[in-house]
Amino acid sequence: MSQHPDSPARSNSGSHCGRVWVIAMHAFTQLVRMKVFYFLAVFAVIAIGSNFFDLPQHTGPEVSGIAVLSSIKSWSLGTMTLFSVVLGIVATALLLPKDVEDRTLYTILAKPVPRVDYLAGKLLGVLLLVFVSLALMDVLMSAVLQIRSSMILNQQMDFAQGRGWSAAEIASLRGDILSQGANASLQGAVFAVFLRASIMASLALLISTFSSSTLFTSIISFLIYFIGHFQADARAIFLESGAAGTGPVTRAISLVVSLVLPDFQLFNVIDAVIEGQAMPLLILAKLTAIGLFYAVFYVIASWFIFAEKEF
Amino acid sequence: MLLAGAVRLPLEASLTGELRAAGLLPAPLAIGTRDHIGQTSSAVALGGLRTLVATFLNLRAYTFFTECRWDDVAGTFDTIVELAPHTIYYWETGAWHQAFNASSYYLNDSNLPSLRRDAAWRASVLNGRAFLERGIRNNPGDPKLNAYLGFLLTDHYKSRAFRDADATFLAASEAYRIAADGRDALPFLRRFQLYALARVPSREAEALALARELYQNRANHTVTMQCVYFSLESHANRSLIDPGSFAVSVFGSAQQAYATLTHYWLRGSEHLPVHGVASALRVLEAQLGIPADKSVFLQHPAQDAEDE
Repeated sequence: MSQHPDSPARSNSGSHCGRVWVIAMHAFTQLVRMKVFYFLAVFAVIAIGSNFFDLPQHTGPEVSGIAVLSSIKSWSLGTMTLFSVVLGIVATALLLPKDVEDRTLYTILAKPVPRVDYLAGKLLGVLLLVFVSLALMDVLMSAVLQIRSSMILNQQMDFAQGRGWSAAEIASLRGDILSQGANASLQGAVFAVFLRASIMASLALLISTFSSSTLFTSIISFLIYFIGHFQADARAIFLESGAAGTGPVTRAISLVVSLVLPDFQLFNVIDAVIEGQAMPLLILAKLTAIGLFYAVFYVIASWFIFAEKEF
Repeated sequence: MLLAGAVRLPLEASLTGELRAAGLLPAPLAIGTRDHIGQTSSAVALGGLRTLVATFLNLRAYTFFTECRWDDVAGTFDTIVELAPHTIYYWETGAWHQAFNASSYYLNDSNLPSLRRDAAWRASVLNGRAFLERGIRNNPGDPKLNAYLGFLLTDHYKSRAFRDADATFLAASEAYRIAADGRDALPFLRRFQLYALARVPSREAEALALARELYQNRANHTVTMQCVYFSLESHANRSLIDPGSFAVSVFGSAQQAYATLTHYWLRGSEHLPVHGVASALRVLEAQLGIPADKSVFLQHPAQDAEDE
């Protein structure tokens, strides 16, 4: 890291990584100093608070508390999704204009730093921030779930033994409670949340290369985020339009939406995990590949625009 | 960008299909559901937070429940299950509210005339059943939902709501069979399958075969199981079996047989098979010297030859 950027060793691919890493760490530090971690405090209050809420339940004492575990997962992952997307978009939207405002950008670009390295570094910094935030939230959520599962398990075991339930019935109840607790699929769902936020951050990076303000980048990114959840519907309209008798205009619009916007519905597998289903590793690998495809593609697209930009 | 889109379009379409087939991705949100949950919640749900909206709606449904607003409870659960179709808890709870809570409320609603009370009670029970069956169609083979359906269809307080008793018990037996075939199924589910099947007049032979199979395991020798087994054997071998001695062989002693069969005989509203039970009770009453004024038949007389 201490090597001068003009040195010949910088021309190899290893130094590319080094430069990207330096810029990423700088972006990460910059964002941390902007106190974006305050988001985490809000999440902590919500997550810990939900642990102690005695939420109204529709069912009797034989399943008391089990539904609360599902609620904690739903609230926590919902909050994670919201904060990670907001963090990803806003942090990325802030970085380029702030570097221009602080004139840091001119200092960096005056050196032999390829613009693609600069962009990739900035994005990596944001992704690091999102990852660290999500990891902390995940630890908090898993701890809350673990504590609450143990409490419910003890309470339900006492209830079942008091009622003279058979060993098989008690084992079944135990299985029901544990399946709603913190497990590997839940960690997979948190990773899917990270992937969705990563796509949004890389998309925000692309927009910020031609945008005139942070506000514009943020608004357009949020709009694309919501429209991206309809992309699968548009694709279905396009693919099934022959049978449905759809007109050429609708067909063309649905095609453009399908080709240009990312499909965020794929990441709704998180809902299935909250509902207690297991997420296979292969599915997670495919989602990761798609997330990586988008991130790399948007960085390259950003580079094409940013390379021509005059400062 | 268009080129990259053309590359990923078929891949994403294929992954969406794969996820839908695996039940990991719900069907797109229906327009009607988007209207029901309002613009804000709709935006949240479309932002990939469907289960979060379902959680909040579940809390809202609880408020409707405490206020006995049954139409609102039903409507809210319709929306909840659209948002989270694989959460069994929502299907169970929605069905429970309609088939048990709303129906009991209407049955005891003194503001309604008797006929309307009865009609509202029946409609609620049937709505609960329909909701549960919809849940099973959305979660095929789910043991919990099937067990709950079996429980509803064999509830003797609800049996009046279902017009065709035989078809209802047969459906209950099938639901219990699916539940009992599930992984880690509790043993009582198979017995409940038998109890439902034994209630169908033309299925005694099938029920007896299952009863014999279950009876080989001593863990299944519960009171109801012993009685149903006794009844089915008595029906199949009515000319060969001496009711009194067969009852003693099944229940262990004349006193135990009389106590157990008396209690079973008084459970007439449950429509469990009672072949040979009356005959056995008469023999046991004579054998144990039960006075005529203490006879169980004073409380619940034998109806027809089948009882004997």
